[in-house]
Amino acid sequence: MQAAVQNFKTEATALPHADALLWLTPAQTLSGDGAPAWIAALRDTGAASFAATGLPTPAWEGWQYTHLRPMAAAAFRFDAGGDVRAQDLPETLLPDSHRIVLVNGRLRPDLGTALPDGVKLTALMDVREPEEELATVGDLAASPLLALNCAYMRDGFVLDIAPHRDIARPIEILFVAAGDAPAAYPRVLYRFGENSGATLLERHSGAGAHLTNLYAGVVLKQAARGRYYRFIDANDAAVHVSRTIVRSHKASDFQGFSSVSGVAAGRQEFGLQLLDRGISSSIGGIYMLKGRQSHDFTILADHFDEDGTSVQHFKGVIDDQARAIFQGKIHVHRPAQKTDGYQSHHALLLSDQAEASAKPELEIYADDVKCSHGATAGMLDTEALFYLQSRGIPAAEAKALLIRSFLNQVLEKLTHDDARALYAARIADWLGAEVEADMAGLGMAEEDAA
Amino acid sequence: MLKIENLRATVADREVLKGLSLDIKPGEVHAIMGPNGSGKSTLSYVLSGRDGYEVTDGSMQFMGQDISEMAPEERAALGLFLAFQYPVEIPGVTTTTFLKTALNAIRKANGEKELDPASFLKLQKQKLTELGMSAEMLKRGVNVGFSGGEKKRNEVLQLAMLQPKLAILDETDSGLDIDALKVVADGVNALRSPDRSFLIITHYQRLLDYIKPDVVHVLAQGKIQKTGGPELALELEKNGYADFYGEAA
Repeated sequence: MQAAVQNFKTEATALPHADALLWLTPAQTLSGDGAPAWIAALRDTGAASFAATGLPTPAWEGWQYTHLRPMAAAAFRFDAGGDVRAQDLPETLLPDSHRIVLVNGRLRPDLGTALPDGVKLTALMDVREPEEELATVGDLAASPLLALNCAYMRDGFVLDIAPHRDIARPIEILFVAAGDAPAAYPRVLYRFGENSGATLLERHSGAGAHLTNLYAGVVLKQAARGRYYRFIDANDAAVHVSRTIVRSHKASDFQGFSSVSGVAAGRQEFGLQLLDRGISSSIGGIYMLKGRQSHDFTILADHFDEDGTSVQHFKGVIDDQARAIFQGKIHVHRPAQKTDGYQSHHALLLSDQAEASAKPELEIYADDVKCSHGATAGMLDTEALFYLQSRGIPAAEAKALLIRSFLNQVLEKLTHDDARALYAARIADWLGAEVEADMAGLGMAEEDAA
Repeated sequence: MLKIENLRATVADREVLKGLSLDIKPGEVHAIMGPNGSGKSTLSYVLSGRDGYEVTDGSMQFMGQDISEMAPEERAALGLFLAFQYPVEIPGVTTTTFLKTALNAIRKANGEKELDPASFLKLQKQKLTELGMSAEMLKRGVNVGFSGGEKKRNEVLQLAMLQPKLAILDETDSGLDIDALKVVADGVNALRSPDRSFLIITHYQRLLDYIKPDVVHVLAQGKIQKTGGPELALELEKNGYADFYGEAA
């Protein structure tokens, strides 16, 4: 493993720095498009920052293991002009959901459904006075991908859930890539008003090579309840990079989850910011990688105030020469007494060339806190495999059963039954047809028996 | 049913079975007793086809077929069952899912129709009742958090569900108190039938008080050293295995 990491360092460090300018050139077509002043200003800031840094290299803190070669190598095209017809869109994940559709990052009201009362959708370019969550970007020099997202700022939306409203049916946000290697740089903000509740299903879809560089903000006002489930479809040629910042206010409850069924390269960053007291915020995910795919979950849970709970639960399987990275940190600031922080990452390696790198971190400045983390990487249990085979279960099916049960364990914590079933189905899909459909929900048979 | 002739087998390049022969007819209960390191568990793994246990000479015929090159699941489909000395914990797979997958895999391999969930659950309930077991353990991960006794009972439940032709019980009595031992023995005795055979592998005679064997073998130094009736077990209990070390050395 060490050798492979060394190799990668050498190659990636050798990226010509001038590439930054190639990345930025297409963004010039945006100038003079009548964007609101705050957007125009952010574009300039982002472009200037990216021009100075270029893409991060493994020499950067937090980028030691991450694999951006597929992003650097492919000639992704901004505004490549691809389109999809309504009949070519995938079915909604759940039959009864509302839907917002974006094609190559661009909001397409014509392809979506009507939204219910209490939900308001505003295109990004129509936002004249941005709130801080939309316009604040932090340290761009340390976040070149975000800088690039700023440089291309145009597409995306703000979704507002009105205070005191509980939106019964899930809202699906479908990102579709279409055309010849399109690049998309959407920016979205999901805003849960005080004491509101909603379930969001964000799906990333589309055949062929494409780049998605997403910035997603999530805001939960006091006592809001937000569920945010992301699904990244299997695609050997797609590059997905995203940063999701979840800002939680007093007594709110956030549950986020993401699954990756395979990408050429991916990095999903999640920042959980527990800004006031009594907040619960959790993020989890599963990844299933094979071939030469690589994916990185980078998580930071920031506790700023007392009595907060943050949970990170991640699991993944890695086959062939694929690589997975998990970097998870819990940062407990001085005032955040009585913090409860938990983090776990478990990787299952299915081949001896698969790689898992994990970097758990705790940074704690308060003295009355409970924080723990656990990380493992291992192969399939040969004893368990033999046990299953000795009961007549063929080797391939036994392996699939063990992998599925390994991954299913992180789904148990999800409070939305349909979302849990969707993730279970993704696992079954990845494992292939030999898995019986009726086994997708492990709990079903037992309930009948009781 | 099972005919083993002059079987030699190695584990990690070390020869553990050194010319073992055994003939079990339908309906018979055989016990193999032997000291630690005599090759008892190796025999059970070689018979069930565990990776790393290699047959180097001799033959194993089960149901008239040479099984030495078969995968474990093929042997199971033919009707071979191994009750493990240390049943494996499988978190995340419930016992019900495990049993259903196993039962249907075996049915499928034998060209039978797979059981639909309703028929399966009915069968499972019936077996549970017969064995006096609670449905509670079916909802948990296979053997996860089970006591030693519960694990062995779960083995008996699997035995009852899968209805094998030959069941090998590998040190089934180890780690059981007398009450648990009786429960397990009752379960096994209920499954005795003219066309089902048992091979009981044990260090101690105790289990044989509850499951009466037809034939008792002494295994030492990788070979059957002596064969007799149930009285042989009592004799061993009294005199120990010391005699057989001498003989084989």
